This record gives sequence, C-alpha cells and structure tokens, in this order.
Amino acid sequence: MTLAIALDILREARSRRWIIALWGLSTLALVVVALGLRLEVVDGALAATRLFGSTLRTDVRAVDVALRPLYLAVSYIVFYGGALLGIVATADFAPTLLAPGRIEQLLARPVRRWEVLAGTFLGVEALVLAGAAYGGAGVAALLYLKTGILNPGPVVAALGVAVAFAPVYAAMLLSVVVARSAALSGGAGLLLLAAGLVAGQRTPLAELFHEGASRAVFLGLTALLPRLSAIATIGARLAEAQPVSAGPAAALVAGTLAFAFGLLAVAIARFERKDY
Amino acid sequence: MLAIEAAGLAKTYGGAFGSPGHRALRGVDLTVEQGTAFGLIGPNGAGKTTFVKAILGIVNPSGGTLRLLGGDPADPRIRARVGYLPERLQLPPSWDAAEVLRSTARLKRQRRAGPAIQRLLEEVGLAADARRRVGTYSKGMRQRLGLACALLGQPELLILDEPTDGLDPMARVEARNLLAREVARGATLFINSHLLAETERVCTRIGILVEGKVVREGELEALQRSGNRWTLRFGDGVSSELLLAAGFTQAPGAGSWTFEGEAAGLNAALDRARAAGALLVGLEQETKDLEQVLADAVGDGP
Repeated sequence: MTLAIALDILREARSRRWIIALWGLSTLALVVVALGLRLEVVDGALAATRLFGSTLRTDVRAVDVALRPLYLAVSYIVFYGGALLGIVATADFAPTLLAPGRIEQLLARPVRRWEVLAGTFLGVEALVLAGAAYGGAGVAALLYLKTGILNPGPVVAALGVAVAFAPVYAAMLLSVVVARSAALSGGAGLLLLAAGLVAGQRTPLAELFHEGASRAVFLGLTALLPRLSAIATIGARLAEAQPVSAGPAAALVAGTLAFAFGLLAVAIARFERKDY
Repeated sequence: MLAIEAAGLAKTYGGAFGSPGHRALRGVDLTVEQGTAFGLIGPNGAGKTTFVKAILGIVNPSGGTLRLLGGDPADPRIRARVGYLPERLQLPPSWDAAEVLRSTARLKRQRRAGPAIQRLLEEVGLAADARRRVGTYSKGMRQRLGLACALLGQPELLILDEPTDGLDPMARVEARNLLAREVARGATLFINSHLLAETERVCTRIGILVEGKVVREGELEALQRSGNRWTLRFGDGVSSELLLAAGFTQAPGAGSWTFEGEAAGLNAALDRARAAGALLVGLEQETKDLEQVLADAVGDGP
C-alpha cells in the first residue's frame, strides 16, 4: 500500500502543471546553457579555459584542474537549487492529501495510517531524486560534451539532494500533520534546511560564541540537527577531485537518514491519534 | 450476521487543559443487520457524521465498542469489504475519472479492475467523460464518481454520507436505482443524509440520532405509524350528528372523519355507525412522513 500511495504522489506530480512547468524550465535552462555557454577548451590535456567569455585563470593548466571551480559551483547550485525547488514544488502535496473529503476516503480504504505518510514520503523522495538527477546528470553531460571531462560532482550533488531532502520533507510532513497548511509546510522545510546549513558549519560558527555556556548550548543544539551543508560539501569535494573519506561520509548519510526517520516516526505517531 | 454493531460508542472532541470538550457521541447503541438499507437521520450537529467516521476509524472513539462485518474496523481486511462516500468529497482535480478509479482499485487491493471500472463508469453515467480532468466536472459529476469509487469491488457494506447531495432529479433517480440494485445483490446500505425524502425512498430501517444518542430505531413503516389515529370515509346520506355520536371527529375535507383509539374502540364505533345506517367506504391508519417522525423525536429529546 505504501508503494501504491507513492505512485499516486508521482501520478499527481505528473499531472500538475506547476511541476511540469518546473521540469520545462530546468530543461530550458540546460538548453540555454548548452547553446550559450562560451566554454572553450583548447588543445586537449593542457588548456586554458574561458567561461562566459572570461578567462578563468591566466595560467595554462590541465583541463580538469582548470575546470574544478566550475564543477564546484555547479555542484553547490545543483544541491541548494534542487533542495529549494524541492521544497517549493512539494509543499502542498501532503496538505492536499490530508484535505477534508480526501483523507476520509483514504483512511476508509484498507490502508494503515502509517502507510499514508510513508507512501507520501517515499513518493516525494522519488520525485526529488528524479528531478535532481535530471538536472545534475544534465549539467554533467553538457559539460562533458563541451570539455571532454566527465566529472561526477553534479550527479553526486543530485544524490546528496535526495539524502538531504529526507529530513527536510519529514519536517514538512510533521508540520502538515500538526496544522494542514502548504505555507507552513514550506516554511518548516526552509527552516530545517537553514538549520542544516548552520549544523554543517557548527565548528567554525561556534567560534563566534563566547567560550562557556553559550557556545556549549549552540554546540549541543546543533549536534542534534542533520549536517546538510556537509552533504553538499561531499559533492563539491568530489567535483574538485578532493579525497572523500568513505567512513565519515557514510556516517553523515546514516545520521541524516536517522534524523529523517525519527521525525517521520513522530509525524506518524501524531497522525495515528488524529481525528479527521 | 450484523454489518454494524456499536455499543456505548462515545466521542468527545477537544477537552484539553481541563475543559470538558464537545461530546459528539454519548454512548450510541446501534446494530445494522446485513442486507438491510439503513438510514441514519438527525438534526444538524446530532453526531451523524462523527458516528460514520468513528465506525470507519477516521475519528478515534473515546469509548464503547464497535464491530464491522463481524470484525475490527481497524483491520484493513475488514475495510476492504466496505465502500465509503464521504460528505465533502474531494478528488484529485488534475486526474481523469478512469485514473481516480484505477487508484481506488489499487488501494482497495482489486486486481484486474479494468472491466469493473468501465462498467461502473457506464452505470454512473460518466463513460463519455472518463478522460476529462475531474477539476472540470460539475458537483453532480464528482458525486457520481465518488459513488463509483464506493461501489468499486462490490463491497458488502456501503456507507454513504449524503449520497444524492448535488445530484439533479434524474441523477437522483439513477442513483436510487443503483443503490437498490446493490441491496438486491445482498449489500448492506448505511446512509447518512439530511435529505429525508431520499432516505425514505431508499431505506427500510431508520435510526434517529439526537444530541449524540440514538433516540428511535426501527422499521420505517413502524416509525411512520402515528399510533392509534385512523382516517375514515363514509358514504353519502349519513348525518354528521350520528357519526359524532358514534365517536368520530370530522376532519378537513369532504366526507373525511378521524378516530383516535385502540382497534377495539374503532370497531365498536364503527358498529354503532353502521347500525345507524352509515356505510364505510375507506379506512386507513394515519402515517407520518419522515420529517414529522424526526420532528417528534427531536421534540422528545434523548
């Protein structure tokens, strides 16, 4: 039943003009960049590179080295752009599903309550992953065609969006279960994304606080939050051909998903007791 | 076997921070036999929709026990045997009718539902509009699609909240015929409606809910009987004085008389009238329409 509800979410997304428009705009942006980008790679492995007509750096360097700043920027754009678009595009899915007249029909069917939220979560995650992968893979393919260098950074950033979006959407679902509002849902998503950025930079930001209680409170609070900007950094490091340790990266992903499932469990517990 | 069995069912909304909350259901005892067409009526705020939602697990009862088709309503296998039409129906506006029914079939665990979907679309008169977006449908068309969703999979129990609301007179007749066919098939029909004339036409048993309690319940005909009040018509040529003396009361309308009392008293009065030459040409026990039955029940209170 979870899968059936997830498929319904995807079907609903497919039939919404707003989602189709976002998809079309992403495609248009890719096409414009593909046709209009003045990115010139001269003479193979050692090259000077120009982006939008301006020389990136004056030195003649290896192409992949010269392109690293570009891939770094693209990775961050895919990550944060994908997360923001995801919040905007999916903010009203759960409020629509839980609308009076629709939720009664759903709950009267042979569906367990937890399956309604789990299916919604799964469907939205699949939608965001598909959207981010489309954008990330599109940019990676486009730059490959332009430069001959295949860099996985944008694709990894797209996968990072799907991971980072899990706690964001869990927070959005929890807010909808408490009060059915698309605006509140979007706000909750943005708030968690912002908190995740702060948590990802908690060590340097802690330096801004006086040593002692205030710093300890800041570190204590941010220790509980998913470090979303750290996930973005993984994609960026890969784009820059920097080494990424598998262990800490896996722990980061596991921690983020654990936070997401924790929030989802709270949302389900609240939903189980709620009257419609 | 019982389709619905509620004992002492209670529901209180709110009630946080020491406030008593709103008691929507105050111990409802109600049983509905399988295969019957049951109508639940009552004034606004009586708790009808709360009762319907409680038996489907849409609201969590505060007390009492409940069984649906002999099982626990929380069990998805039980709910798979139930069709439901909510009062304020909302359907995905960007889907077409066939998509809505296909999704319903999946959620009702119906496999190979294609032919059934096509048949239902024809039965509710939406076959020609099956590919149109539901958002472009009129209220009546949406209601008919909701009815089709409820009927999908030939459920054993149909719970319909205001099923004919928004339908034009012709569509109401079609919906009534459709529901009559479902009852003939053996399905139990449970209708919650404020359209009393419609309820009267479809249901054979009635329950009246007032202030969260069932105050009357029984066969429609029995509830409609006004008690010991009879209307009589006598042939021409008999004097009014004679009939008054026999114990009858003149009613409005030419030749109409009434009698209030037990059957034995009626027969004695008739014997006196006939002995004086009166000729009885018509006799019927007075009945009330459902509106009057409800008004009396509300007046009596819980």
